[in-house]
Amino acid sequence: MVQLLQYAKRQANALRGNQTETTHDVRPGTHLQLWFLVLVVVFPIVVAVIVSTKETGVVTSLGDLLPGSYAVENYREALVDYQFGRFMWNSLAMSLVIVVGKLIVSVFAAMAIVYYRVPYKDLVFLFILFTLLLPVPVRFIPLFQLMNDLGWSNTILAITVPYIASATTVFILRQHFLSIPTSIVETAKIDGVGPLRFMLFVLLPMSKGVLVGVSIIMFVYAWNQYLWPLIIIDSEANQVAQVGLQLLQGDVQGGQLSWSLVMAGSTLTLLPPLLLMIVFRKPLLETFSIQQK
Amino acid sequence: MSTREIFDSRIESGLLLLPTLLVSIVFLYYPTALAVRTSFFDSSFGQVDEFVGMENYVTLLADSGYHSSLLLSILFAAVVVAGVISVSLYLTFLIHEVDTGQGLYLISVIWPYALPPAVGALVFLFIAHPTLGVLTGPVEALGIDVDWFNNGPQAFVVVALAAIWKQIGYNVIFMIAAMNNIPDTLTETAELDGVSGIRRLLSVYVPIMTPTLFFLVIINTIYAFFGTFAFVDLLTSGGPSNATNILIFDLYQEGFSFFNFGVASTKSVVLFLVVGVLMLVQFRVTEEYSYYGG
Repeated sequence: MVQLLQYAKRQANALRGNQTETTHDVRPGTHLQLWFLVLVVVFPIVVAVIVSTKETGVVTSLGDLLPGSYAVENYREALVDYQFGRFMWNSLAMSLVIVVGKLIVSVFAAMAIVYYRVPYKDLVFLFILFTLLLPVPVRFIPLFQLMNDLGWSNTILAITVPYIASATTVFILRQHFLSIPTSIVETAKIDGVGPLRFMLFVLLPMSKGVLVGVSIIMFVYAWNQYLWPLIIIDSEANQVAQVGLQLLQGDVQGGQLSWSLVMAGSTLTLLPPLLLMIVFRKPLLETFSIQQK
Repeated sequence: MSTREIFDSRIESGLLLLPTLLVSIVFLYYPTALAVRTSFFDSSFGQVDEFVGMENYVTLLADSGYHSSLLLSILFAAVVVAGVISVSLYLTFLIHEVDTGQGLYLISVIWPYALPPAVGALVFLFIAHPTLGVLTGPVEALGIDVDWFNNGPQAFVVVALAAIWKQIGYNVIFMIAAMNNIPDTLTETAELDGVSGIRRLLSVYVPIMTPTLFFLVIINTIYAFFGTFAFVDLLTSGGPSNATNILIFDLYQEGFSFFNFGVASTKSVVLFLVVGVLMLVQFRVTEEYSYYGG
C-alpha cells in the first residue's frame, strides 16, 4: 500500500514534469537520443495523418511528406461515402456496452469477494481468475458455433456479451478494495449501512481513480478488438471500425488504390483510444501499477 | 479483530457474483469444453459430427506444416519479445535519466498502447510498401532490395517490426514504474563507484527490475502468439509461402477458410496448452520473487 502511494506520487510528479529526485548529471546526448527515438515511434502515424490530407496519397519519398489540401474532402468521403461514420458508431456502441457492462458486473463480483463472509468465496475467485487462461483466440471456433446456435451472429450481442465477465477487472478492483482502510469499512458497519448504500456511498466514491483507470483499459481493449468482429460480423451495416478499415481498402483495391482514404480511416480509428489515454493517463498509469501486483 | 467482511447474506453475495459467473460459464468455460469435445470429432459445416477419437491429434502430430507453424511462432515470439524488451528498456532508461520534459517524453512513447493493431498494420503496409512506401527508397539506398510481398524472411521482419512498435507503449508503462521505484541512494552509490550510463542500466537497474521484466516477457510472449493476428492478416495473410503463418493465423484459416472445425478445435486445445504453460511459469516465478520483494 505504501509502495503504491509512493509510486502514485512519483508517477504524478513525472507526468507534471517536475521530478526532483535525480541529482546526477544528464549526459548531453540523452535528449538527442530521446528525440531520435520518439521520432521513430511517432513517424508512422505522422505519415498516416499527412497522407490523409493529400489527393491521392502517393508518397514515394521523404520529400513528398508535406500536408496536402484535401483533408476535408478525404475525411468526408471516408465517413459518408464509405460508411466509415457507421463503423465508428458501431465500434463506439460496442465499446461503451462492454465498458459499462464489465464495470457494473465486476464491481458486484469484487464486492462479494471482499466484503461478504460466505463459504467457498476463495474458490469462486479462483474460478473467475482461471478464465485468464481462456482468451478469445483459444475459443473463437466454438464461440462461433455457440453464437450461431443462439442466433446472435452478426449482432451487437455477439461482440459485447462474451466480454462482460472480466477476470482482470475483478482482480484489479479486489486489490483496490483490499487497500481501503478497515476502519472506514467498520464505521459503515457500525452505522448500519446496507450493502447498496455501502456500495454507492462508500465503495464507489473511494474508488474513482481505479474505476476511471479500468474503464480506459477496457475501452482500449474493446475498441481495438479485430479478430472476433472479423469472424462474427458479416454485414457492413453492423461492422466495427477495425474491420471496416479493411473494407475501405478492399473497395479501392478494385480501381485505383486510394491510400489517402485508408489513412483517413486509420487516423479516425486511432483517435478515440488515443485521446482517452492522453486525457486520463494519470489514473490509467496508477491502475496499471495495481494490475502487476 | 478488524475485518472487511461486514456482510454475510449468502443470497446477496450469490446475486452479486451471478452475472460474472454466468457469463464466465456460458461464454468462456462452455466453449472451451466444446472445443475439447469437438477436437475428438470430424466436424465441419453442414454435416453431422462423427466421433474419430484421437485422429485429429494424430493428424497434427504428423502434420509437418503445423510443426513449421509452431516453430515459426516460437521464433516470432522470441524476436518480438527480445525486440520489445530491449527497445523499451533503453527508452525507459533515457526517460529516467533526463531532468526535464519527462512527462512529454513518456507520453510520446507510451501512446502505442492505444494503437489499434489493425491501424498499425495498415500504416506499416503503407510506409514499407515495396513500390509505394516512404521508407522503401531509403532502405533500398542501403543496398537492400525491398520485396517483402515475395520474400519470406523480409515479410517476417516487417511483421515483427510492426508488432514490436505497437507493444513498446505497454512495456514502457510498466518499466518506468519499476525504475522510478529504485531508491535514489542506489543510483548515487553507483555514480560514486563510477558505474554510469548503460552499465548502470544493465548491472544495477536490470537485476532489481527482474520481477517486472519477467512479467513483461510473459505478457509479450502471449501478445506475440495471439495479439499479432491483425498484423499478419493485413500485412501478409500468412505468406509468402507460409513465412508468417503463425499459429493463431493458421487456426483462423483452418476454421474460416477450410471450415474444418474438428482439426481447428484440436488446434485451439493446443493453443490453450500454450497459454496454460506460460501462465503457470509466470505464477511460479512470481511466487519465487515474492520472497525478496516487499
